[in-house]
Amino acid sequence: MPANKKYLSSPGQRVLKVTAALFGGYLVSLSFHQLLMTFLDKKTVVITSFFSMYILWAILMILAFLAKNGWKIWATYILISLLFCAPWIYEAYIK
Amino acid sequence: MNNRNYNIYFNTHTISGIIISAILYVIFFAGSFAFFKSEITSWQQNTSAAEISKKDINFNTIVDSLNKEYNLYGRDIYFYMYPRGGAKIGVSVSMSKDSSNKKRGGYFLYNSKTKVQSNYKESYDLGEFLYRLHFLAQVNGIARLGFPIGYYIAGGVAFAFLFALITGLLLHWNKIISNFYLFRPWEKLKTVWTDLHTALGVISFPFLFIFAVTGTYFLVSFPLMSKPTIAMQFDGKKEAFDKTMGYDDKNVPMAGKAIGKEIDINHFVSETFEKWDLTQLSYMQISNYGDQSMQVSMDVVLPRSEKFVGTGKIVYEAATGKVLEVKSPFEKAGYNGVVKDLVYTLHFGNYGGYATKVLYFLLGICGCVVIISGVLIWLVARNKKNIPGRKRKFNDWLANIYLSICLSMFPVTAASFIAVKIHPGGGTAFIYPFFFWSWLALSVLFIIRRNNYKTNRDSMLMGAIIGFFIPVANGVVSGNWIWTTYKKGFYDILLIDVFWLFVSMGAFICWYLIVKKYQKTNNTKIENSNKIEQEKELKKFRIS
Repeated sequence: MPANKKYLSSPGQRVLKVTAALFGGYLVSLSFHQLLMTFLDKKTVVITSFFSMYILWAILMILAFLAKNGWKIWATYILISLLFCAPWIYEAYIK
Repeated sequence: MNNRNYNIYFNTHTISGIIISAILYVIFFAGSFAFFKSEITSWQQNTSAAEISKKDINFNTIVDSLNKEYNLYGRDIYFYMYPRGGAKIGVSVSMSKDSSNKKRGGYFLYNSKTKVQSNYKESYDLGEFLYRLHFLAQVNGIARLGFPIGYYIAGGVAFAFLFALITGLLLHWNKIISNFYLFRPWEKLKTVWTDLHTALGVISFPFLFIFAVTGTYFLVSFPLMSKPTIAMQFDGKKEAFDKTMGYDDKNVPMAGKAIGKEIDINHFVSETFEKWDLTQLSYMQISNYGDQSMQVSMDVVLPRSEKFVGTGKIVYEAATGKVLEVKSPFEKAGYNGVVKDLVYTLHFGNYGGYATKVLYFLLGICGCVVIISGVLIWLVARNKKNIPGRKRKFNDWLANIYLSICLSMFPVTAASFIAVKIHPGGGTAFIYPFFFWSWLALSVLFIIRRNNYKTNRDSMLMGAIIGFFIPVANGVVSGNWIWTTYKKGFYDILLIDVFWLFVSMGAFICWYLIVKKYQKTNNTKIENSNKIEQEKELKKFRIS
């Protein structure tokens, strides 16, 4: 009873989704915690991330696989990461 | 749930699961035993924790002998006390801050009962081995890559496990309630495996989830979280990060003048114990030994029965005996303190007594069963006529190798207990070759025989028989028979013996059921084929 092939992606899309799940999901989860650190106590955020970092990443992985289009989910994850990193980018490069 | 999502969960669950299964099994199996790490150590060395009171350790004599060996002036000395860990104390001596004192520092273990020093490799025991195998520490030594490859593999597997757990839960979502306790051992094998995999997986889900999350944290949080955080939030300064997190070692600047008197370390220790009743020493650091700036700092912990998270700290200035810094273990721990502690506590299961540990062991074995049944479902689901023969051959081959490696771990672990009992002081030089060679040999035998039923049957029986002789070996070799340790109150040693009796009994029952089930399915197969032949003959008879 392996999964029904009808619902699975083409090889190209699969590569996009797997990479978006692993790398894109990681970037979003990491940048989310970095964003929190800009306005919350850093120690508290790091300690919370012991748990939240990996749970969030795993959920984002699943979302990437559920996405209809690999390109779109990659674009979404990159955009969200950039948005979350905006305060840091501003501090490091613009200011 | 719509069909598309269901099939996506199904596919991602299957693929992530099959990739990690064999390694995850090794992690779970070794980890289940690692809950008893300190008890195994006590058992191997015939030193019960009941015989040792770590409050009576004479630090002055240890420091005196270190002083003769290293000339301690200007050095930091660290004592890792392992409050729940038997007789062992880890001792580490740093380089001296006085540039004229050039001798290198060192690290060794001190046995607080026998008062013998030994280096790490000599004092390596089976508890340590199984604990480290649990996160593939031995794999680090295979290749020198500049990073611990074994830890990263184990961390990656732990994270993939988290993913597989969540997709598995989603996949089973609609049936969680209806199939919660659904076990049908009388049905055909595939149903038995599916029930084991899904029902047992759901029941143990919360525990497995915790292991997956905290396990990932232990192994890969440094490269994946700490390093980027240091770069982005702390201007690349690791020291700043460590200081914020409270990870930093105490670094006291030297005064450059000798203190000019004998320092009584024991006095500071007993003063701390008097100050905080019931506390145990977990860590002590002596900074700048023999210098005017010398400090003695102690981390203490309350027993869990007193307070769930109770860690305290006290720092004394050695020259004057003044208290420089103090944090009571009775103080409220706060969010940060609790969560930081929880990540270890939840994973190690050391917050209760032996009952908690036994429960954790059983949950760990549940994990093993879920993994193996998953591999078997994967195999039978693909053993169909519409799947090309080449693929089916590959699947058989893979499942055969997986099962041989996984299941042979049980008799090999049991045999290692007897081996270290006969040869307790062997260290890494004995345990490594014994465990890995016998594991390899047994796996290869099973792989060559290519019969999953026999692999399972024989490893259960071997494990049961060898396991039964573990308490016997302990009695014969060290005189610690079950009734002796019971009378003397050496409950940690007793635990391992009784534990193995139960494991052996459990394995024996499994063996019996496996054989009975196999005979039954075989008989029905024969009956069915007989029936078909009888009917054929009847038909022939009628036609003629």
